Amino acid sequence: MSRPVTLLIGALGGDGGGVLCDWIVEAAQARGLGVQATQIPGVAQRTGATTYYLEVMPQPGARPRVLALNPAIGEVDVALASELLEAGRMIFNGFVTPDRTVLIASTHRVLAIAERSAMGDGAFDTGKLLRAVKERSKAQILFDMDQAAEESGGVLNAVLLGALAGSGRLPIPDEAYEAAIRASGKSVDSNLAGFAFGRAHARGELDQAVRQHRKRQAEAAGVEDLTARARTALPAAALDTIEEGVRRLAAYQDRRYAALYLDRLDALAAVSADAALLREVGRHLAVRMSFEDAIRVAQAKAAPDRMARIRAEVRAGADEPIEVTEHFKPGIEELCALLPPAPARAIVGWAERTGRLGRVFFPMRLRTTTVSGYLRVRLLAGLRWWRPRTWRYAEEQAEIERWLGAIRSAAARSPALALEIAECARLVKGYGDTLKRGLANWRRIEAELVAPALAGTLSPQAAIDAIASARVAALADPDGETLTRTLASAAQRLGGAGAVRHAAE
Amino acid sequence: MLDQPPDPVAARRTNPERSFSHEVKSLRLGAGETFRGEGVLAVTKAILQAGVGYVGGYQGAPMSHLVDVLVEAQDLLDELGVHLETCTNEASAAALLGASINYPVRGCVTWKSIVGTNVAADALSNLASPGVIGGALIVVGEDYGEGASIIQERAHAFALKSSVWLLDPRPNLPTIVRLTEEAFELSEASNTPVMMELRIRACHVTGEFPAKDNRPPSVSRNRRLAEPAAYNYDRISHPPSTYIHEKLKVEVRQPAAERFIVERGLNELLPGTRQDLGIVVQGGIANVLMRGLDRLGLADDDGAGSIPTLVLNVTHPLSSDQIADFCRGKRAVLVVEEGAPDYIEQSIHAILRKRGIDTTLHGKDMLAMAGEYTAELVTDGLLKFFARNANDIDLSGPRTRFEAARAGRAEAQRLLGRPLPLRPPGFCTGCPERPVFSAIKLLEREVGKVHISSDIGCHSFATLAPFNLGNSILGYGMSLAAAGAVAPVMERRTISVMGDGGFWHNGLLSGVSSALFNRGDRVLVVMQNGYTSATGAQFIPNTEGNRRDGQNTSDIAATLQAMGVKWLRTVRTYDVGLTLRTLREAMTTKERGLKVIVADGECQLARQRRIRPQIAAQLKAGERVVRTRYGVDDDVCTGDHSCIRLSGCPSLVVKPSPDPLRSDPVAHVNNGCVGCGLCGEVADAAVLCPSFYKADIVRNPTWWDRLKWRLRSTVIGALARA
Repeated sequence: MSRPVTLLIGALGGDGGGVLCDWIVEAAQARGLGVQATQIPGVAQRTGATTYYLEVMPQPGARPRVLALNPAIGEVDVALASELLEAGRMIFNGFVTPDRTVLIASTHRVLAIAERSAMGDGAFDTGKLLRAVKERSKAQILFDMDQAAEESGGVLNAVLLGALAGSGRLPIPDEAYEAAIRASGKSVDSNLAGFAFGRAHARGELDQAVRQHRKRQAEAAGVEDLTARARTALPAAALDTIEEGVRRLAAYQDRRYAALYLDRLDALAAVSADAALLREVGRHLAVRMSFEDAIRVAQAKAAPDRMARIRAEVRAGADEPIEVTEHFKPGIEELCALLPPAPARAIVGWAERTGRLGRVFFPMRLRTTTVSGYLRVRLLAGLRWWRPRTWRYAEEQAEIERWLGAIRSAAARSPALALEIAECARLVKGYGDTLKRGLANWRRIEAELVAPALAGTLSPQAAIDAIASARVAALADPDGETLTRTLASAAQRLGGAGAVRHAAE
Repeated sequence: MLDQPPDPVAARRTNPERSFSHEVKSLRLGAGETFRGEGVLAVTKAILQAGVGYVGGYQGAPMSHLVDVLVEAQDLLDELGVHLETCTNEASAAALLGASINYPVRGCVTWKSIVGTNVAADALSNLASPGVIGGALIVVGEDYGEGASIIQERAHAFALKSSVWLLDPRPNLPTIVRLTEEAFELSEASNTPVMMELRIRACHVTGEFPAKDNRPPSVSRNRRLAEPAAYNYDRISHPPSTYIHEKLKVEVRQPAAERFIVERGLNELLPGTRQDLGIVVQGGIANVLMRGLDRLGLADDDGAGSIPTLVLNVTHPLSSDQIADFCRGKRAVLVVEEGAPDYIEQSIHAILRKRGIDTTLHGKDMLAMAGEYTAELVTDGLLKFFARNANDIDLSGPRTRFEAARAGRAEAQRLLGRPLPLRPPGFCTGCPERPVFSAIKLLEREVGKVHISSDIGCHSFATLAPFNLGNSILGYGMSLAAAGAVAPVMERRTISVMGDGGFWHNGLLSGVSSALFNRGDRVLVVMQNGYTSATGAQFIPNTEGNRRDGQNTSDIAATLQAMGVKWLRTVRTYDVGLTLRTLREAMTTKERGLKVIVADGECQLARQRRIRPQIAAQLKAGERVVRTRYGVDDDVCTGDHSCIRLSGCPSLVVKPSPDPLRSDPVAHVNNGCVGCGLCGEVADAAVLCPSFYKADIVRNPTWWDRLKWRLRSTVIGALARA
């Protein structure tokens, strides 16, 4: 009794999995092959995962007792996935096996909602996915089909069909697939192009250019002497980051500010020559020193290369004018941030007393593609000479010094502990509420873990573990519930170590 | 007159979900031609071949397409004289079958089960009691197992309690079509409505069958009756008729049905060489079983099995004789019956005991008590059954392979380290309902957590990440009623969310009228997007332009006013600020009583389908078109992702930070953006960050656009370099 070839397709809503399924069925029928397909289509919305299952007889005329509607573990011959995590899912569920399954999958990732909404980097480990793909399937055809689809002007499902044809696993000639694409009558040319691309790739006839994530480097001329100074004073392994920091801060503020950056790193280097520590501190310090105030935002929005970048991103044609509207909504604090410390504190104090703080905002929609709109942003960006006199500047420098002070005193005892403290800079980022929340989280970690560690009431090793898990906890949810739980359990575990009990806020 | 064919203008307004022109063509196939397509479409073709006189239904996966396709096949229906009713709920669809009580006309209605059957239950009882003279078929999409979106219960219970016959055909097209046609005859032979359940995979299974000509019904819109049926109290479901009906069901109708089932061979007996063993299986999962037997090597090379199998294409009623004859003389029989409770297994136990047959009966002791019968689960159960009852069959080879596959899966899971992130369904890009939940999130920051009574529909996705808003779901259109006893014990008002689909389906009466009548001090948000979007954007009473005549039917706000709602606001949902202010007012106003916010915004899927061809035509004609989309300045974004947590828009994604000094990925708007503006609105309302920008791209610009642009670019370019 001849056995059908079994195919399982995992796709995301909107990838055209249903059409792909139809093409295969039609091509098989045209060849006189017994075929049956079914699907779990999900809901009408274009989100969520969809699966399709097909059985195709290997010879024309062959008829089995039944064709099944459900895939069985260990009995899938070809698995097709339109995205890497979906390939992982078929492996996780046991359908893809090293003795039998040819896995044809796109290597691009479309992050699931939990991965996207994490407060830091929440993406599933791609390395693990790729390892599972390689080890748990018999053969693989893997490439970025999303990019291939874009380059060929087609849709991903046509590329996937091409890759299936190229795999040669089904007794269906290319012409039958192409005829099915033509018969469906929609976007025929681009789908045929996508099909040809996928097939050629599966047959190893072309290599795909790896898409580069081009990194923009802050440009600033006239800091060669500062980078030279860094090279003589700081470890070579930390220099790529530190030189980037020098360039960024010179562009953000001025040469003097970049020199202050190096002074701060020198002070740390005097305590510890640990290159990894200096590199990480150099990275975080540059980010912290280039804090996001209205001037910095204006600098970014007025950058000369920005409009070209936006035009490319929104795919505006060469002769198509665009209008860009910015959403600004500064509050009292953001505006006061630009004043000198004394008046700023007075106004913020008054606003707090009268309940206006965090309630009164000044929304503005600014069109930076008009001359007057651009001029306003440009003028604000031009205020950077004034920045060192602002309240925000004074506050940030004080915070930075405290953080650096903690790192320095920890570095003398344990570079690893210093590194953990340095990493906490990741918590302090963003604007408005995000910034306040991050700062509050850092203060709690500082008071409950860093201070006892520096005072010697907590061993460095215990502190390292506790700080690392507290940092992860702080990024776990925006309400700080996980952090509260983690700190409480740390206090319990390290009981008597001087950890302060802290009520949930 | 509403039952007249639509005029040509209205006929152009069809279901925007997708065009079914290809499917409609296959409904016209005649004798000698081969039908190719999906299970649902095969059923649709089969009812036309059986001479159905009227069709009705309420949409819901996996059966929506039956009515959807017929909506587009109006010409064909007009030729045949078939009446089509797109009902506003399942009760109305079930009541439609009332036509077959008094008249010799065949009818078919369809819905999603179990939920639809629940709603239809009252009418079903009142239909089944007097019985029918015209064949009455109820096709239910049994939304059970993987991919289901509802409570896991069996339609079987309704068949049992109301004495409605239940078909569960083997999921291949010839069997499904044959059973559909025979269902009408069974119904007429036993004066009983017949229900046919099709699981999700069966609804979508592809295949082919030899078509027959469609049969125009003998009584129809084209061949009207001159007079109504003669008065006959026996056909009224009121006492004393109901006492007679109950007797008729068990004494006359069920025996007639059993005879029909056996005589017509509706159940299939697959012979086997092992006469001491047997398997009884529901038709719907027979394929899983038979493949399982193949896997164990228990099928011969010619495709015949070695274990005799009784495939129950009719799962109620069971013919006691047929069951007894099959089991008699066997050592052990396995019942493969999906879902709980084990109605069939219990019945077979009773049949065997009453007749003193001592065959050992296995079933849910070896298979799972609850849950979908997957290939793995059935294989596992078969291995247990044979190990216990037939250890002379050597299954060591297949067992080793099966164990190896399970071990391989464990190894794969170890490699992956942790469960993979799920992909729960969520709101579409640009969905008009998403902004309401963004506003509720922001509202909760001000007033504290609110009890949210959720409902059925797209908006129920708010119960999932990233919103996680919702405390209960009590059924379609039930959210307002479900808050009835919560609100009185709560310091803060409750918010009930309901779609316009749910509003017309049930919410208006079960919710609004009851809340008004009881002076409930609650907040109701009605999502007015114009369609039942979650089921494929079918039309509802407030959809602009009825498909029959192009006129509007009912208006939600006007209906609410007429019912006596005093506090009523309509907001455009994309205005998050206004929505938030309105919600705040509803939650805090001194005014007591029901407060209704009609949250208005057309379903974006439907809208895109509607406007995309229009825009393409405009572009082709050289007209000026402005395309709007949003973007994120990746060097202003700091990678906190608050914007994603407050929206979850599929086109709002993350990408690696281009900044070499930052490690957290930054937000990014991909090219799926439809320019709804929510991300900008949320960033604004929540005071998030200044990363978002709106870009209006002018396509086919006028000379004035170009001139302005050139002048501005020159000046700005000079300023930027200055």
